[in-house]
Amino acid sequence: MNWRRVNISLHRDVGYFCAALTVVYAVSGIAVNHTHEWNPNYRLERETRSFAPLAAAAPEETVGALVTALDLPGRPKSFFRQSPQVIDLFYDGWSVRADTAAGTATVERWHERPFLRDANFLHLNQPKKLWTWFADLYAVLLGFLAISGLFILRRKNGFFGRGKWFVLAGVVLPLLFLVLMRYSGPRPVEPGGGRGGMAGEPGRGMRGARP
Amino acid sequence: MKKSLTAVSVLAVAVLLTFPVSADSYGKPLSPAQPVKVSELIANPDTYVGKVVKVEGLVTDVCAKRGCWMVLAGDKEFQTIRVKVDDGVIVFPMEAKGKRAVAEGTFTKMELTKEQNLEYQKHQAEETKRPFDPKSVTGGLTIYQIKGVGASIQ
Repeated sequence: MNWRRVNISLHRDVGYFCAALTVVYAVSGIAVNHTHEWNPNYRLERETRSFAPLAAAAPEETVGALVTALDLPGRPKSFFRQSPQVIDLFYDGWSVRADTAAGTATVERWHERPFLRDANFLHLNQPKKLWTWFADLYAVLLGFLAISGLFILRRKNGFFGRGKWFVLAGVVLPLLFLVLMRYSGPRPVEPGGGRGGMAGEPGRGMRGARP
Repeated sequence: MKKSLTAVSVLAVAVLLTFPVSADSYGKPLSPAQPVKVSELIANPDTYVGKVVKVEGLVTDVCAKRGCWMVLAGDKEFQTIRVKVDDGVIVFPMEAKGKRAVAEGTFTKMELTKEQNLEYQKHQAEETKRPFDPKSVTGGLTIYQIKGVGASIQ
């Protein structure tokens, strides 16, 4: 058995093995590439409700009054007062932010996107631990598929025929983006050690107006 | 061939059972250090800037899109602290809202100019889909937050 036959056999079987996860990663890759346009993990529902403003009271009493005023299904599993007027109520899978003085509330529900939530969970290596090793193995196998794939065909349709031009195009295009978007012109400032985003996407908590 | 597949399957299940996946721990393991109260951080922020701190509290908000931050309630009412993590390195789930969490990371300070603050408030409003009035921004902003490296959510 010569090396080319071995290469074809390995490429075939490794390809079968990687097919499912490659599709999962590809779909997730597109999903998370467009995070600025949509939420790849959850579908959020927001509903605004009105109620008669509540008089100031102890937090527990306010929660009870809100449950009644908004016709909520029982007491929340936890709550937090953002300010004397604004209170958050937390339930499983949804929450309520109510302004007791204004008499307005926003009910927010989040629903996992079927398939995508799971695909992103794996693709972004949220499981960590053992999955990291499996994902590393998968990456190595993908690398093998890329290299071995170059040498499946021979002659005019092989790598040394027309194949080399496609490979060259696949190298030049990313390089072009690198040159244009990373190595020419001013580089974006990333304060706070963030990976882009406005000012490292700082927090809302603990802030104060500067004099 | 069937015997090989069976053996591989049994091995895979055994390994999975030996190393259970934990969905409640995020990033690096937490140190045994005692948590600092959020009220203490708020009262004396400059004492802690640049230091690694551990905080605990109720999760009141989570970045819905990327899970790249969560807000923890303090030990006192009306006080919160945001834990920001690098995108993709740690992803906090929406299900964390309303649960108690412990987070650890470096306490940081950022000073925004009025223009930066305007952009920041606009970005926040867009992200949370809440109304934003540019006139509400009248000056710069000093922001303290934790650059999180590890967390656990109960």
